[in-house]
Amino acid sequence: MIALDGVTVRFGGLVALDAISAQFEAAVSGIIGPNGAGKTTTMNVISGFLTPKSGAVVVDGTDLVGMSPHKRPHWGLRRSFQREQIADDLSVLGNLLSLADNLHGSRAERRANVDAALEFVGITAMAGRMGASLNTYERRLTDLARCLVGQPRLIMLDEPAGGLTVEESAHLGDIILRIGGFCPAQVLVIDHDVDLIARICAQTLVLDFGRRIAFGPTAAVLADPAVKAAYLGIEVDHA
Amino acid sequence: MARQANTSLVAGLSAAILAAFGLPLVLGGQWTGIFTSTACFAMAAMGAGFMYSRLGMVSLAQVALMGVGGWVTLRLNHAFSLPFETNLILAAVVTSVLGMLLAIPALRMRGLYLALVTLMVAGGLEVVFTAYQFPNGGAGFWGVGTSFAAEMRRPVLAQSDGAYLTYTLLVAMLGLLLIMAHRQTAPGRAWALIRRSEAAAIASGTNVTFYKTWAFGLSGLLAGLGGGLLAGSLGLLDASSFRASESILLFALVIVGGARFWLGAVIAAVLYRVAPGLLNNWGVDADLALIFFGAALLHAVTTAPDGIAGQITGLFRRREAKA
Ligand SMILES: Nc1ncnc2c1ncn2[C@@H]1O[C@H](COP(=O)(O)OP(=O)(O)OP(=O)(O)O)[C@@H](O)[C@H]1O
Ligand SMILES: [Mg+2]
Repeated sequence: MIALDGVTVRFGGLVALDAISAQFEAAVSGIIGPNGAGKTTTMNVISGFLTPKSGAVVVDGTDLVGMSPHKRPHWGLRRSFQREQIADDLSVLGNLLSLADNLHGSRAERRANVDAALEFVGITAMAGRMGASLNTYERRLTDLARCLVGQPRLIMLDEPAGGLTVEESAHLGDIILRIGGFCPAQVLVIDHDVDLIARICAQTLVLDFGRRIAFGPTAAVLADPAVKAAYLGIEVDHA
Repeated sequence: MARQANTSLVAGLSAAILAAFGLPLVLGGQWTGIFTSTACFAMAAMGAGFMYSRLGMVSLAQVALMGVGGWVTLRLNHAFSLPFETNLILAAVVTSVLGMLLAIPALRMRGLYLALVTLMVAGGLEVVFTAYQFPNGGAGFWGVGTSFAAEMRRPVLAQSDGAYLTYTLLVAMLGLLLIMAHRQTAPGRAWALIRRSEAAAIASGTNVTFYKTWAFGLSGLLAGLGGGLLAGSLGLLDASSFRASESILLFALVIVGGARFWLGAVIAAVLYRVAPGLLNNWGVDADLALIFFGAALLHAVTTAPDGIAGQITGLFRRREAKA
């Protein structure tokens, strides 16, 4: 379980997160909200890139606040970024190994973990290709595969379907739904694609201007008039 | 891609071994010395090149660090009767540690600011070198005597200038292999990720501080080896060779040569050491080289980001593709 308890983040005068509380229990949960709502900030707090001004982040009984961010992957946390982070001068395999390098276990074990992640995402065939030669979709898949290396406990994906076509996005959603069968990790997904969120996330948190507008089962949340109002702007933007 | 890298590695190694044993046979007296120092500067250039191309970090202290390597080698040589190799290794270690210390203020900085910090260190070392000069067998800690020149020992296997050139080229080759080994393993992957973004590296569990410090240490090690070998070649070192401006010039030439390629470091060192000598031989003012280098840098920055080595490699790839 991912428990946020009164998490507050300020940037100068801006309140990016205003005492956010939520308890994610589903295998796959979502965070949605208009631009600048505080979604990425929430992920930055959970992954340790930001220390909240107040509040607690407890995942599976471990209080994460205070653990340095580069130690969290070792604990079992994985995250991707809004902009994919594939190193161009490493192969797909190298990109995954760069995470495995920092985990415990023998070389063979780490390599087996990487191979399993490649296989699960279905990109074993492109393991040898250089990052620079990958298209947007291949980059997103590689990013996702990197998050699956080494029995993670918590995976956070920041707009994993950004820049993808409808079909690609659907395929990515399928893979995310199958993660439960691959490793015991809980998954947290941010996306602007409400259809994707509605399909893959059992629970969803809606943020707007740093405040929690709604939280609960995704269908109920999306039917909430307050959520619809917050999303009106976005629907127009996308049209 | 991996195969291309291997082909290039094999080609490079064969060329280096051929050069190591062949060059001393064909070169005349003065040129043997010039090529030896070229190989020394190539080591420093490799360090600057990999830092820039793999981590995106600009280090403007490589030649100054060579001075440190040279200083320690001379100091040990005149103080104790240890073999050359021991002095060289100790000098490389000291320079490497200094390189890592240099990393500390640099860790929080990027781009221009990082470059400026390294440049300040180079400036500081320039002041020290100019004030105290290099040990020549004199008394005291600084070991500088007037009109004094104690013997500089060389490796047992490389007493003659020709053999010493071979020796230097082989050490340079080892340095190159060391960098390549890093690139194929965890540090290389960590560096690639750090260059992509530090956030991505941290999110992957990479200890950014550790790997950046390591990079500085490795590049310091190479500069230290180069400086130590230069000391062994010349016997005496002069503070004017290690001015901060020399570090800047070498870095600029690394860009001209092509920071991503081993060949780039070689080209940089050849331009740095051989071009002025050639101009001198032709009776042209060696300072003209600076103007030429400036033009070459402009060319590299504007149209050939991979430098001369990149253009050469591109040429071969295109030929291969056609064939
Ligand atoms: N490091 C920072 N310094 C100052 N302000 C920041 C910083 N990071 C985020 N913000 C601000 O905090 C607010 C929330 O940003 P956040 O990135 O969490 O939004 P988001 O919900 O992820 O939006 P988007 O959908 O555009 O990605 C925004 O107003 C943003 O400008
Ligand atoms: Mg965001």
